[in-house]
Amino acid sequence: MPLELHEETANLVGVVTVDEVEQLAGWLRTAKRPKVSLRRCNHLHTGALQALLLFKPKISSAPNDAFLAAQVLPLLTGSNGPAHKQGSDPP
Amino acid sequence: MNPLLAQFLAEANDLLAQVDEGLLQLERVPGDPELVNEVFRAAHTFKGSSGLFDFPELTRLTHAAEDLLDAVRGGRLALDSQMTDDLLAAFDLIRGWLAHVTAHERLPASAGGDAAGLITRLRSPLGGGDTAPAAATAGVPAPVISAAPDWLAWFDAEWLTEIAAWLGTTSSTMRFVHYTPDTDCFFRAEDPLHLVRQVPALERLGLVQPPAWPDPEDYDEYTCLISFVVATRAALGELDYLFRYVPDQIEIVELDAGAITRHLSGEPPLTAEEPVTVAITPMIDTELAADARAVLRAAHSALTMEGVVNEGPRLRSVRHAVTAAARALGVPVDLAESGPDELLATVARLAGEAAPAPAMAAPMSDMSDVAVPPPPPMVVPADAPGRADDPGGQVGTRVLKVDQEKVDRLMELVGELNVAKNGLTFLADAAEEEFGSRVLSRRIKDQYAGMHRIAEELQAAVMDVRMLPLSVAFGRFPRLVRDLSRRLGKTIDLVTEGEDTMADKDVIEALGDPLVHLVRNSLDHGIETAEERLAAGKHGAAKLTLAAVADGDAVIVEVADDGRGVDPERVKRKAYEKGLISEEELETLTDTEAVDLVFRPGFSTADQVSDLSGRGVGMDAVRASVEKLGGTVTMRSKLGQGTSTRLRLPLSMAVTQVMVVSVAGQRFGIPVDLVVETVRVPAGEMSRVLHQEVVMMRGEVVPVVDLARALDMPWTLAEGADRPILVVSVNNQRVGLLVEQFHREVDVILKPMEGLLAYADEFSGTALLGDGLVLLVLNMKEVLGLAARVA
Amino acid sequence: MTSDTPTRARVLVVDDAATVRLYHSSLLTDAGFEVSEAANGLEAVEAALGAEFDLFVVDVNMPKMNGYACVESLRSETVGTAAPVVMISTEDRPGDAERAYRAGANLYLVKPVAGDRLVRVAGMLTAVEVAA
Repeated sequence: MPLELHEETANLVGVVTVDEVEQLAGWLRTAKRPKVSLRRCNHLHTGALQALLLFKPKISSAPNDAFLAAQVLPLLTGSNGPAHKQGSDPP
Repeated sequence: MNPLLAQFLAEANDLLAQVDEGLLQLERVPGDPELVNEVFRAAHTFKGSSGLFDFPELTRLTHAAEDLLDAVRGGRLALDSQMTDDLLAAFDLIRGWLAHVTAHERLPASAGGDAAGLITRLRSPLGGGDTAPAAATAGVPAPVISAAPDWLAWFDAEWLTEIAAWLGTTSSTMRFVHYTPDTDCFFRAEDPLHLVRQVPALERLGLVQPPAWPDPEDYDEYTCLISFVVATRAALGELDYLFRYVPDQIEIVELDAGAITRHLSGEPPLTAEEPVTVAITPMIDTELAADARAVLRAAHSALTMEGVVNEGPRLRSVRHAVTAAARALGVPVDLAESGPDELLATVARLAGEAAPAPAMAAPMSDMSDVAVPPPPPMVVPADAPGRADDPGGQVGTRVLKVDQEKVDRLMELVGELNVAKNGLTFLADAAEEEFGSRVLSRRIKDQYAGMHRIAEELQAAVMDVRMLPLSVAFGRFPRLVRDLSRRLGKTIDLVTEGEDTMADKDVIEALGDPLVHLVRNSLDHGIETAEERLAAGKHGAAKLTLAAVADGDAVIVEVADDGRGVDPERVKRKAYEKGLISEEELETLTDTEAVDLVFRPGFSTADQVSDLSGRGVGMDAVRASVEKLGGTVTMRSKLGQGTSTRLRLPLSMAVTQVMVVSVAGQRFGIPVDLVVETVRVPAGEMSRVLHQEVVMMRGEVVPVVDLARALDMPWTLAEGADRPILVVSVNNQRVGLLVEQFHREVDVILKPMEGLLAYADEFSGTALLGDGLVLLVLNMKEVLGLAARVA
Repeated sequence: MTSDTPTRARVLVVDDAATVRLYHSSLLTDAGFEVSEAANGLEAVEAALGAEFDLFVVDVNMPKMNGYACVESLRSETVGTAAPVVMISTEDRPGDAERAYRAGANLYLVKPVAGDRLVRVAGMLTAVEVAA
């Protein structure tokens, strides 16, 4: 099961496909202080990434997957991107 | 056509031929390093030159082929026949493209699609993985440096500054992709992030967030709101290929240090939802400064290498380069006696003073006094530079490549000169007869003799230019035989002899199709499979010989195999069944005559038409096309031992002597070779045998054909007038042609029929006369056939 | 007798690909340079022994004598030219630029080089007299 959802923590495991996106978004919507572990995640669908970007859960552990770790994690933690990363309005 | 493109096309032809030949030889001598290197070099040169033009598919495909060859050259891969097939297919495709380029100056619209599969196949032996080809392919397709797009701002500035510096140091470029997935793409089972992670040699991923995220309550998780920006070293071709299903969602730019620096120093970051096209006018000053800094970095590299720059020319050259760069940067220095250490210090100081500050506008100030040559016009001059007295000029054989059309034009002019020259004899006659001046007549005749000699020499010289070796006609066969024998599962050794024999280019060209047909026929029907051959006590590998030899003013080309030969009995039976011969002939025809039956129209020895020899075209077509060239075809065969087909063609078909006659006011030419005599027969001497008009000539009955009627032209001769009759000999038969008027004999350059008349078999070609009129030259065999049908 | 017009800078374009050679030499000729051509390294060295040049534009991958060996020879005491050398390569492999500088080149560019850039660089590098 790619999603292991608990009260406040979730583990993303293996390949998170589009089928898991709705469930993940639902969990993020309701959890009070969501924490997500990407350690065992090999790939996450764009929809899942987008949900993580919107709900901004705390990323509790970094992925082992090289691409996710090097390129995607910085997007989630805000250490890689333009100064105006919130992107809501033109500065 | 742009002379540069013309040069490229001419060069490409040679290179492609080298590649083809090399690949085929490589199959025989696998792994010959010299051969591999030759093929690689040809492909490499080809790719390099192709990059000068806007033919990205061409560069991409040759690049894939070159990479494969490079791996073979480096010993990382062994060339197998699948790779050879793919390489040959790639260069065949390219050859087709170039033909299109020759006609339209651009690649066919289908080029991208046609190339994609081949590129994948060529890359697959290389492991074609995500990152493998990236390092070797960076910066290869024509790097059209774009202006930095506004979405570059979605990368962090710090990283951009770093990468700009690095690109500057290496004088290289990087590709930047903006990927904006459709909002409903999730419903189409697309996963943009998955596509992005497949980008080869990914350097940096950036995210473009929506201008405003929706409320969590209203959030639809199946709407894609984000898009990506990607920096990569992968080649444009690889990116195009990766994103081939979403081309409309992709924007790719190629940027160098200058473009990024200008972006960093210029416009403020923009949000993705407000695309603003910023036209950045190239600033020569800034670009010059960038080049100067590149020279300084190069000097810095060299100066910090152990023992590279110490004294002598090396030190002086670095001194010179640094001085030049400093001047371009507006900070002149005097380095007259500087040693390496002082130079290094100067370079460091200059680099500091003139460094581009990312946050600042271009720091160049005092650039106005620097001599900057104006950007050259992109039009290449019609005549390329090249001075014979230049010691550094090109060395080596000076071979001039000339368009065929130009040579044809020369030949036409020679023909016109001949005609004009012939006019002098009439003038001489007129001088004597009409003006009574025998002296003037003599002088005109002398003048004519002189001109005649020069015209003949000129004609011979032009003919010589038109001569090509038979190797041109034979060149395609190694490949053809290889491909066909593989498909047929037969083992065949092709032997070519006498490739150096020369013949007129028209003969060589016209020889192509008949030869292909004969070779295919031989492979398809003549040569047995290895098993059959071994069972018959022959060597398993068949031998196919293509030989050419000059024979006086003719060239003889022979296609011979050691296959099963033609069975005369079977041929006769078949011909009889098809109604081509009578029962009597079935009994009486000799074996040689029987073999000749294969040239009869409607005859085909194959029990079923194979896909190799083609359909509907038989040996009769070969004979017809050879005869159209004024040649002959004969076949000899020994059952069980093989077949040889011999084509005899005139060495040159450029100049034909024709007799000009007119019918219904229209002039026609008849090859003089066929003309026996011209007579005027009183109307009363004409007679009729059955429905055929005939005339008795020296005891022989000669049928007379009304040329006007045969050609369906409205004309009738006055009742009692003498009949002008041209007697020709066709197939050893004398036939009289009733014409309106005889004219003179002329030398003409026969050109094949074109356009609407190309299918009019009754004409063998056209020729331009001295007075500008176009003369139709008759194909007598066809005309007589027409006449027989009309009667 | 010397004429009043300044001597034009002499450039030797070295490339085995005739098309590229024509391209580079016509760009430079149009920009007012006096251009000679050589089809490989060996020819280039021969040319440099026979005449003075103010700039060399040298391809990397060539038969007979490749670009690196060619530039090495130009910088050797036998030829001994201090004129700037721009190397132009089809490849952009790591270490190639370094190899070029080690051989004695003053600038390394990757093909195809935009026409205006080549002319600009040539103009810059020939704007000062070559030291004897």
